[in-house]
Amino acid sequence: MEKVSLRKVKGGKFVKVKVSSDGGYITDAKITGDFFAHPEDAFEQLEKELKGIPVDRVRATVESALGGIVLVGLSKEDLIEMIEECLE
Amino acid sequence: MDRLRVLGFSVFEPTVNMALDEAIAEAVGSAKSPPTLRFYGWSPSAVSIGYFQEIHEEVDLEFCHSNGIEVVRRITGGGAVIHTKGELTYSFTVCDKDPAVPQDIQGSYMRICAPIVSALRGLGADAVFAPINDIEVGGKKISGNAQTRRFGAVLQHGTILIDLERGMLRALKVKREKLQDRGADSVGNRLITLKEILGRDLRPGEVSGAIAKEFKKHFKCKVEYGKASPIELCRVPAIAERHKSIDWLFRR
Repeated sequence: MEKVSLRKVKGGKFVKVKVSSDGGYITDAKITGDFFAHPEDAFEQLEKELKGIPVDRVRATVESALGGIVLVGLSKEDLIEMIEECLE
Repeated sequence: MDRLRVLGFSVFEPTVNMALDEAIAEAVGSAKSPPTLRFYGWSPSAVSIGYFQEIHEEVDLEFCHSNGIEVVRRITGGGAVIHTKGELTYSFTVCDKDPAVPQDIQGSYMRICAPIVSALRGLGADAVFAPINDIEVGGKKISGNAQTRRFGAVLQHGTILIDLERGMLRALKVKREKLQDRGADSVGNRLITLKEILGRDLRPGEVSGAIAKEFKKHFKCKVEYGKASPIELCRVPAIAERHKSIDWLFRR
């Protein structure tokens, strides 16, 4: 099942999260938008790490993949909420 | 930063523009080139999308194709920008350890945009920095800016609207929510140009010259007009090739 969550972060940027899941596991995830992240390739790593995790591991995975990454225009909390919305 | 190399306004193909900014960032980050301020235009016209943007969400590819507009993906985040006649692009690159630019991102946008704001004010436009990464006049956007930190460098490039072919804005699919958030009902209403503010035509060199002078003042550095180095130019074809690839352009 594929679901999309869209958000214009207040005082921040546009974020689109697309997550596919099957039987309680994430099978694919894509995060796009006009935000900034430094370094940028942390998001490719995050998308890779999200694949295959059980849905209750979202927070831990985002927090570890984006640890030390500077986000501008969105927060880790925004991302966690949006991914979880896709899994509801 | 005690001296700043300025590369005067030149027009290049879209992927060459992206490649030159990247080649300069590599050279500046490895201390092979001095801090650099470059001004450029685009031929053919182009849309540049941010690193994280989904191309189909942002760009009307059919409109671009039938109007000869190319599309490139930047190595910087941020939003989609149209680069047509009358649009001036700049890039500013400095070593990421240089104390002239703050480590924190918001502070560094403000620092690097400050001379641009001063230059626009000097030309007669009542410009202000509008966080996170815009410059506005009367609540409308005249400049958008985007930054990356790679290769040991801080690279910030941005767009300054001297004039705008408004018909070309159809190349951008801008989301309604974003416009409403900014109190505008179309992309065009959200943008303003120097020509509209000042009621006259300006050459790119007039605006870029004013900006270079303000960089000199704000950063208290020497300004030397120069050229891209052989090391930088050698890197351009390979980087441009990557920018031309379907993999890069459609990666998101």
